[in-house]
Amino acid sequence: MLLHESLENSSKQYPDKIAVVYQKERITYSELDRRSNAVAGYLTEKGFKKGERVALLLENSPEYISSFFGILKAGGVVVPLNTQMVDRELTVILSDCSPKFIIKKTGIEKNRDCPRFLGTVPIFSSDLAMIIYTSGTTGKPKGVMLSHANLNANADSIVKYLNLSASDRMMVILPFYYSYGTSLLTTHIKAGATLVLDNRFLYPNVILETMEREGVTAFAGVPSHYSILLRKSALRNYKLDKIRYVTQAGGAMALAMIKEFQNLFPQINFYVMYGQTEACARLTYLEPESLSKKMGSIGKAIPGVELDVLDEAGQKVNPGEIGEIVARGANIMLGYWNSPEETEKVLKKEGLWTGDLAKIDEDGFIYLVSRKKEMIKSGANRISPLEIEEVVCRMPGILECAAVGMPDEILGEAIKLCVVKNGVDMNERDVLLFCKQNLALYKLPKVVEFRDSLPKTSTGKIRRNELV
Amino acid sequence: MEPMETLSEADIKKSLKNFIKENFLLGNDSNLKDDDSFMGKGIVDSTGILEVVSFVEDAFNIKIDDEELLPENLDSINQLGNFIKKKLNK
Repeated sequence: MLLHESLENSSKQYPDKIAVVYQKERITYSELDRRSNAVAGYLTEKGFKKGERVALLLENSPEYISSFFGILKAGGVVVPLNTQMVDRELTVILSDCSPKFIIKKTGIEKNRDCPRFLGTVPIFSSDLAMIIYTSGTTGKPKGVMLSHANLNANADSIVKYLNLSASDRMMVILPFYYSYGTSLLTTHIKAGATLVLDNRFLYPNVILETMEREGVTAFAGVPSHYSILLRKSALRNYKLDKIRYVTQAGGAMALAMIKEFQNLFPQINFYVMYGQTEACARLTYLEPESLSKKMGSIGKAIPGVELDVLDEAGQKVNPGEIGEIVARGANIMLGYWNSPEETEKVLKKEGLWTGDLAKIDEDGFIYLVSRKKEMIKSGANRISPLEIEEVVCRMPGILECAAVGMPDEILGEAIKLCVVKNGVDMNERDVLLFCKQNLALYKLPKVVEFRDSLPKTSTGKIRRNELV
Repeated sequence: MEPMETLSEADIKKSLKNFIKENFLLGNDSNLKDDDSFMGKGIVDSTGILEVVSFVEDAFNIKIDDEELLPENLDSINQLGNFIKKKLNK
């Protein structure tokens, strides 16, 4: 099945049902389908060909969704871009994927009469549907290639284990340009459910108002969203009795925080989940019924996925021993765009080597221990220390530097940058200003520390754990 | 120092602008207007707004309740200035 067929199917089954709520707009399934046809028709008229990329530089909005499905209908590949990126970061990605179009602002979809779009070339489920860029350990973002079949398989599995139906109303605050956000989009369109979009989480009370007003039945967030809701909002003043379940992914959430949420909302099912972009989004989930018994676990494989915890030789580890999570399933990516070497490092005969180290207990529940790769997880973002270091090292007067994640109450981790300067006069502000010109806001260090030298191993590797 | 109640709205806004300039614009304020939306212009993120709130609480000796964490109170120099002035006069 093709990914955009889920929109066509829902449009046939529920033509007048509201698919998207955004500010004052209410968009039905048939209207959403019509708009996506208009986008597909526009691209095709402009000479767009199957397999070409279209970069989407839009915040969550009805336009994002109609563009997303419109690109797919035209046989194109959607490349969602983080809207916070600065020019330097955009240039790196755009030159890597060389899109034919960049959609920044639309309007084309509203004015055109396009009840149907008849594709000009056949599209197959093995065709590439998306490239999602993730920060790579090498500092250069990697384009994760996902086919229609990959995304469809993951969406089917999620719809099944979360029991999604047309009566669900999901509060979407996660950006669609991340895989977690993409999974909200694909699953709810497939289920004929309603997506309630609101990008104002900066003011969590506004989101709570939207949740109450729209009677949402579900919420999805990363740990920092839950800590902000619990600690820095008027959560307790809102009537959220329609919520059936919430999901949490994107890094380990403090157990105390999960318990606090459960105590406050005992009737709401809390799903802990785990995955990565290379798997479309999802690999495991912990059933709410097992949450108290298996607190701290990421659960077991989702339907259609097989997981092992393997040692370096590819052998299964015994319960309690540490190994790497390796995954197989129809949702595993095709590889990294333009990067066969990077692909070979993770896609091997055993499956996708996730880079996440874990233990498995006697009952088969998986517990994350740490990441093999040195990535900083801050809020909803995964940040490569190397990318920050490469940028900072370009600054005149910097001898060397290291970026590390330091514990942060709200974000999970915040960025600490340790700098060795070359005798020149500079202060924290100079370094931050240079970072700001070259890095998106979420990649800015919270702390800059000047040091005489960086601690190193005998082979010259920086001892990062000593810098935290 | 003058008592907080006599601070003019202009003084309050000046101090806010300095804080935003120092902490989020890193000294570069050439484009910051008093009615620029922090959210719309991407000036602060969700932890940034919490830093703004703690600054305001400390600098003006007021307590901002969770219920008051709304864009109409906080989302620009003007909105913050009006909000603080109202709180100080209560």
